[in-house]
Amino acid sequence: MLTNFIVALVERILNTSLKLDTTLIDKLEPVSHKRLLIDIRDWQQQFLLVFTKQGIHLYSTNEQQFDCMISGDIETLLALKNPAMLTQLIRQDKLDLQGDLNIAQGFSNAFSAMDIDWPEHLSRYLGDAPAQQLWQIMQRAKHQALVTDNKVTATLTQLCQDELKVTIHPLELDQFKQQTRQLKGQVAQLEQRINQLLQIH
Amino acid sequence: MNENQEKTTHFGYKTVAETDKASMVADVFHSVAAKYDVMNDLMSFGIHRLWKRQTIASSGVRKGHHVLDLAGGTGDLTAKFSQLVGDTGQVVLGDINSSMLKVGREKLHNLGLVGNIDYVQMNAEALPFPDNSFDLITIAFGLRNVTDKDKALRSMYRILKPGGRLLVLEFSKPEHEVLSKAYDFYSFNLLPTMGKLVANDGDSYKYLAESIRMHPDQDTLKSMMEDAGFEQTTYQNLTGGIVALHRGFKY
Repeated sequence: MLTNFIVALVERILNTSLKLDTTLIDKLEPVSHKRLLIDIRDWQQQFLLVFTKQGIHLYSTNEQQFDCMISGDIETLLALKNPAMLTQLIRQDKLDLQGDLNIAQGFSNAFSAMDIDWPEHLSRYLGDAPAQQLWQIMQRAKHQALVTDNKVTATLTQLCQDELKVTIHPLELDQFKQQTRQLKGQVAQLEQRINQLLQIH
Repeated sequence: MNENQEKTTHFGYKTVAETDKASMVADVFHSVAAKYDVMNDLMSFGIHRLWKRQTIASSGVRKGHHVLDLAGGTGDLTAKFSQLVGDTGQVVLGDINSSMLKVGREKLHNLGLVGNIDYVQMNAEALPFPDNSFDLITIAFGLRNVTDKDKALRSMYRILKPGGRLLVLEFSKPEHEVLSKAYDFYSFNLLPTMGKLVANDGDSYKYLAESIRMHPDQDTLKSMMEDAGFEQTTYQNLTGGIVALHRGFKY
């Protein structure tokens, strides 16, 4: 029941996004009434996603009837934000796709191209100028948060690598990997020579 | 004596003539129709919405399907099915009670759901449809009010298409003793009081609690469905068995 509750909340958020970005309805039109089954392997959960002209329907289900099924771990599915990863993930057996691939792509493209005009929506409650100002402040705060995050990460990395010496530098790691590969090669050569000597005797 | 027993049934904890039960149930629902949705939310703390979501998730319904929402009341399931079957599908909202149908029709019209919904007043024991008419039949919180449940199940089986499925969402028997005790206290003490305060109708909600206890448990209902001809019959307990969702197929 908890899953059902969370799914109902997510469905509500998706439907709110439809209201906030009205172009989303047009973008989702090609996948209207098509059933996309998302199987999240590590959660052992399946979710059915259907778009109709009245809204988005999302259910947690065990049904096996679908037009397109996409199955993988949550990390793999999140990596699909980059469509170029698709073939690579299928080859690595991390992702399983069945049915009409265009349906999964249709949903993915529509949501990745989502563009909500927040100042416009906020202006209904605050008026045009305050909404625009609030939006700019939020954008600046977001930018500032990103800059601060980068700075803190860089400082922490430097501190751990150079000052406290609790982690190694990426270049050192690369060098270590290279040396390990060389050692592996040398061990393989040695193994081959020992085998040859054993065969002779 | 036997003849006498055949002609009686239960109405909550009372024993009444079979011919009287339908009208007595009708009186209950005429009485509660106007406040049905509010009371549902209040009595179940909104959880009935999750039970219904689970029913839709288990329905396998898709565009073009024909669906019968039996005892559909105020149309919660019909509203979703109407969207999922689209313009090429059809949903029939069926109920024996005209007051409930009226409330349901008004609610769905206000939601803008028109065009693929029919409203039919019907008795579940004698469904007025040809054989093999529907891809899906649901009956949510309605079967326990039906006088002859076996007859109703056979009637549903008849009008289902081969490959179609029946979903029965109904109150059932809690799995754990502690939950059962707490549920009994809630049903027989708090529920009628809430009914009296909100809907000014304590008796109807007393009947609700009694009728739930008289309804067959999970396994009995499952075998009743099998006797009616349904195959691959399974059930899923929801909220610790307070409610069970039974599913059966016609092949």
